[in-house]
Amino acid sequence: MSSRVFFIIGLLALLVFDTFAQVCFKFTALHAAPLTFDLPWLLRALSTPWVYCSILGYLCAFVTYMTMLRRIPVGPAFAAAHLEVVGVLVISVPLFGEVLSVLQYLGAVLILAGVFCLAYGESNRNPGGMAVEGH
Amino acid sequence: MSTVTIVLLWLINLVTDTGGQLAFKAAAIENREAQGWAHWRHMLGRPWIYIGAIAYIFEFVAWLAFLSTVTLAEGVLLGMAGIVTVMVGGRLWFKERLTRPRTIGISLILAGVALVGLGGGA
Repeated sequence: MSSRVFFIIGLLALLVFDTFAQVCFKFTALHAAPLTFDLPWLLRALSTPWVYCSILGYLCAFVTYMTMLRRIPVGPAFAAAHLEVVGVLVISVPLFGEVLSVLQYLGAVLILAGVFCLAYGESNRNPGGMAVEGH
Repeated sequence: MSTVTIVLLWLINLVTDTGGQLAFKAAAIENREAQGWAHWRHMLGRPWIYIGAIAYIFEFVAWLAFLSTVTLAEGVLLGMAGIVTVMVGGRLWFKERLTRPRTIGISLILAGVALVGLGGGA
């Protein structure tokens, strides 16, 4: 698998896990509201299944990210991980009825364009034998 | 809160964020041969992944403190600064090349994060 394909697959997996975790986190916060930062609030948060879905999502995202870092340089990987911002932004419209501004749509497009550039910047060749991940 | 405190929170945030990312990278590439479970066993037996995790706990606390004292714009700016310092850190520590697609890609993401962060509240 070339670094470019590896990068794209990794990012898509990261996007799914990260967005899932964030959405579950939001449901947890809604369930535990009002935000009082005390023991009853913590107990309310821990009594909903959403918080455990969120933790599971973050764990999967972490494993994905660590696997990506084996081959992808950390500078581009960290920058590209901000694709999650787009995922959360887009899904918050149907799920939480949030209204996005034109500037936010433009920002999402710029992040996508940046991620495409970073993917294009990764080698299109298959490294012969050296630590090929994903098997 | 005084300016000194805010600057200090800024620095703690930036150092822990960047340090955490670089430590995770160091953990990921330390053993190039091991695959799958063997690779995870190796990573969990070495300090780097824990250094990264501790840095992230500190960052989380510093971020909460930071957000309660500064404006959203300053918070977004901090997030953008992290992208740049991780890139520079990767260049210095791991000799990552700053090719043209990478520089352009990271610049676009910086601009996008700024617009998403500051363009809210429509």
